[in-house]
Amino acid sequence: MWLPFLGLIFGLALGLLTNIQIPSIYENYLSIAVLAALDTLFGGIRAQLQQVYDDKVFVSGFFFNIILAAGLAFLGVYLGIDLYLAAIFAFGVRLFQNIAIIRRILLTKIDEKRHKRNKNSIE
Amino acid sequence: MKKNMYTRITIVLFIIGLMIAVQYNTIKQPAERDTRDIWAIREELAEEKQRHSTLLAEIRSLNEVVGRYEQSEKANLQSALYQTLNRLKLQAGLTEVTGPGVVLRVEPAPELVEMGYEIKEISPDLLTQLLNALFKNNAASVSIDGNRVIQTTAIRDINGKTTVNSVPLSAPPFEIYVGTSSFKEAQKMYNSLQASTFIDSFYLDNFNLIIEEPAEHLTIPAFDQPLTNDYLTEVKKGE
Repeated sequence: MWLPFLGLIFGLALGLLTNIQIPSIYENYLSIAVLAALDTLFGGIRAQLQQVYDDKVFVSGFFFNIILAAGLAFLGVYLGIDLYLAAIFAFGVRLFQNIAIIRRILLTKIDEKRHKRNKNSIE
Repeated sequence: MKKNMYTRITIVLFIIGLMIAVQYNTIKQPAERDTRDIWAIREELAEEKQRHSTLLAEIRSLNEVVGRYEQSEKANLQSALYQTLNRLKLQAGLTEVTGPGVVLRVEPAPELVEMGYEIKEISPDLLTQLLNALFKNNAASVSIDGNRVIQTTAIRDINGKTTVNSVPLSAPPFEIYVGTSSFKEAQKMYNSLQASTFIDSFYLDNFNLIIEEPAEHLTIPAFDQPLTNDYLTEVKKGE
């Protein structure tokens, strides 16, 4: 259960301690990639809670979303359109939706648990 | 199956963490934001420009020396060498200099002497401050109580005596000769010293600092002690 968090902390530590920096022109791409990654992650959590989680979908979605977002931003730069805004918008909206769904599922689960406990105590 | 899932999520989270860390590093890259306004930047630019012109002048003078050497290669190399030697001696402060300048006189404030105040030694810090101000105002050569100030001059307190070049200053009044490159510079020096707070600072130490009118001909003595250059090493040719 705690393994994923360990991975996150390890990644953060590695990045902060090695002090890797990317040229500021690629900053946009990275920020979009982070957003895409977070979106996929929360999507995965939601799918897990709804019991429709699929490994292939999750992993492929993760990399595909990142590449798509960065590619969109790249294309936008050359077309003179701020296409990365589209990516930010799409991922932002999905992020909020996924988190909202996760919240609702968790709330219903907590409610159910309480109901059960109440029933048990009454009986 | 479940274990497999955790491993993948861990890898994904690791990548996310790494990306966030890199993004964070990149964004905080200029740790100190440049908040100078145009004016401050212009002033810094002016300073650099000044240095640029100083360096250019130096290059020109060195080029002249090279030219002189080349011209007199066969005729009289000796005189060219002597000229260089004299120029270096002048720069190092080993020759007497005569030229325009300002004389500063330091004397105990008479009214305080009459009231029986004890006049102590002048503090080395105050003298150093004064020297800094003099050199900031383009002083070419300075002598304090007959002791020429050169690059290695130390002004310090030795056993309660304020010394310049390890020679104790005579009891005030004594004179500080300040040589400048031109009479105009001397006038500028005079004015800026008049406007500075040094007169007040000296009076705090019970001294009067009297700044005399700029003079056309002022003789500043040479540095009369052996130069110690223990830490200087010869530059090899071609370096």
